[in-house]
Amino acid sequence: MLEVIEGGIQTTVQEYPGRVGYLNLGTYPAGPMDHFAFRIANLLAGNAPGTCALEVTLGGLKARFNERRVVSVTGAAMQPTLNGSSVPMWQSFEVKPGDLLALGMVKAAGGFRSYLAVSGGFDVPEYMGSRATFTVGGFGGFQGRGLKKADRVPLNPASAGNKLAGRRLRKELIPSYAAEWEIEVMRGPQADPDYLTAEDMDLFFSKAWKVDRNSNRMGIRLESHKWQWARATGGVAGGHPSNILDNGYAVWTVNICGDQPIILVADGPSLGGFICNATLVHASTWKAGQLVPGRDLVRFKEVTIEEAISLARRLDASVSERSIEREY
Amino acid sequence: MVTPNATSRAIIDRLPASGERPEVVYRYAGDRFILLEYGDIVLDLRMNFRIFGLNDAIGKVRIPGLIETVPALRSMLVHYDSLELSPRRLIETLKELEAGLPSVANLTIHSRRVQLPIAFEDRHTRADIQRYVKYTRQDAPNIVNGHNIEYIAQYNGLSDKNEVIEYICATQWWNACIGFWPGLPFMFPLDPRYAIVTPKYNPTRPWTPEGAVGVGGPCVAIYPVASPGGYQLFGRTIPIFDLQQRNPAFKENPILLKAADRVEWVAVSDEELEDIRARVYDGTYRYKIVAYEALNVRSYLEFLDLIKDEVAAFQKRQSEATKHVPVP
Repeated sequence: MLEVIEGGIQTTVQEYPGRVGYLNLGTYPAGPMDHFAFRIANLLAGNAPGTCALEVTLGGLKARFNERRVVSVTGAAMQPTLNGSSVPMWQSFEVKPGDLLALGMVKAAGGFRSYLAVSGGFDVPEYMGSRATFTVGGFGGFQGRGLKKADRVPLNPASAGNKLAGRRLRKELIPSYAAEWEIEVMRGPQADPDYLTAEDMDLFFSKAWKVDRNSNRMGIRLESHKWQWARATGGVAGGHPSNILDNGYAVWTVNICGDQPIILVADGPSLGGFICNATLVHASTWKAGQLVPGRDLVRFKEVTIEEAISLARRLDASVSERSIEREY
Repeated sequence: MVTPNATSRAIIDRLPASGERPEVVYRYAGDRFILLEYGDIVLDLRMNFRIFGLNDAIGKVRIPGLIETVPALRSMLVHYDSLELSPRRLIETLKELEAGLPSVANLTIHSRRVQLPIAFEDRHTRADIQRYVKYTRQDAPNIVNGHNIEYIAQYNGLSDKNEVIEYICATQWWNACIGFWPGLPFMFPLDPRYAIVTPKYNPTRPWTPEGAVGVGGPCVAIYPVASPGGYQLFGRTIPIFDLQQRNPAFKENPILLKAADRVEWVAVSDEELEDIRARVYDGTYRYKIVAYEALNVRSYLEFLDLIKDEVAAFQKRQSEATKHVPVP
């Protein structure tokens, strides 16, 4: 069991790949915003894929363990401490009954979310086929919400653990979270020349987009922009040229809502009536999860389907024992 | 893979129109989704019927690597694992299925008939509309005598609110897709003689009670939970979403309605609605769902042909009225 002393800004129980298969009932998959750091955290703690871990947004989580476990913290640098002494990130370590783990707030180093995995994983009930917290619907995870002071989050039994301590991700695989990002996307579904002009798309790929303060697990808002548009109006779908007849939204797509681009992320809307001019590829979605609202800049880089698939294979292959080394 | 007449890099492939079949366009939506669209950007339920015909055909074959489909008005989002199923193979399969589809007129679509009680101009929608007047916009032209229902009458050239009620209850409402929020239906009248339309709120209404029913453009929606909203409200129904699954109707999941359901409204008083809602939550109310019915498209199209003069007459009456009614 993990006893929450401080829940932090937003700490949720997540599971990868989340609640897949319910888009036709209006439900986005939830799951971790950064699937790479999330999966590495589980790997370091010796957990099978699909084990629940915590997503900590911005920081501030303090929690006490009442049993011996191996834990790992990955993602944005939150200066984790165990009973006040610094512990490393991207490396597993042992905790004993009574130990207090604290995550600080993310600093200028960058990144926005970190992941805490505990050997055995968090034991929360399945809801609609998954244990991921869906913040919009208020279901999944721990009582459908972020963790709060005095919550006691149950853990699954863990297999004998201390040889799991001291596992770390090879240094060259630790991502850097800079304030300027390059995010790989594919053009479409609604791009040029039918919805936007070629100039609009050129600008989309050349501009450094500021991430809006008002960003969360539903959408990462970027700054508004005056698009040229290839159409005068949306016709039957509405007055604005960004309007289309409602269609399903791909997860991690760039939705242009009026003038404002919004990356629709883990807990986003499943369907709607605005164009989506580009879509993040599987290998780049984790970057959206680490964008710092109100600070970071994003450039979109167009890739082909072949490039996207090879990036995906490389990323998924890196979540494996071959990426792990022992501390000593 | 891109065919010579493809106009956009977002477009993977096209299947030209042939006979009754509209053009099919296949678009990239990242490396895990494709978006399929039928025909021109017009609101035509026949395109939606065809989407369900295709969806049924997809359901009958096993496509390894296909994850899920999201039917919408004239489009379908297809979620697939590109590491297992190449987009080229997926599109070839979809094209083969397209070739085997009967014409729209020969489709029979499995469609449940769902009877829902509705209290028109009920106290809860009235309360939230009055809050809007008090806190958001005092001079909203879409609020007449403290509600939206008389505005709906004015905008559509109907004599009074009783005629609005008559119109809404006179037709079945086709649920073309579910989305945006878990369980939210996008419904259109199957009998276009009663196809009311309205502009949306401006600005958006910050509050809407759970179960509220409203119209925006040509579409009628039910609000699954209390939320902001932009549709003109006319009444309130029973829960279509229940997280706690307190009624057998929510046994499988918390979502009542499915795409291709038909909703019929049965007017009840405010008190009757409160009573039914209480019985929904204590588990004794039985939702009135006829599960075995189907929509025979040929008979439906014959029906449309039979009433086309009446439809034209109503549309004329509507457009005359609209000229004299302010838009919010």
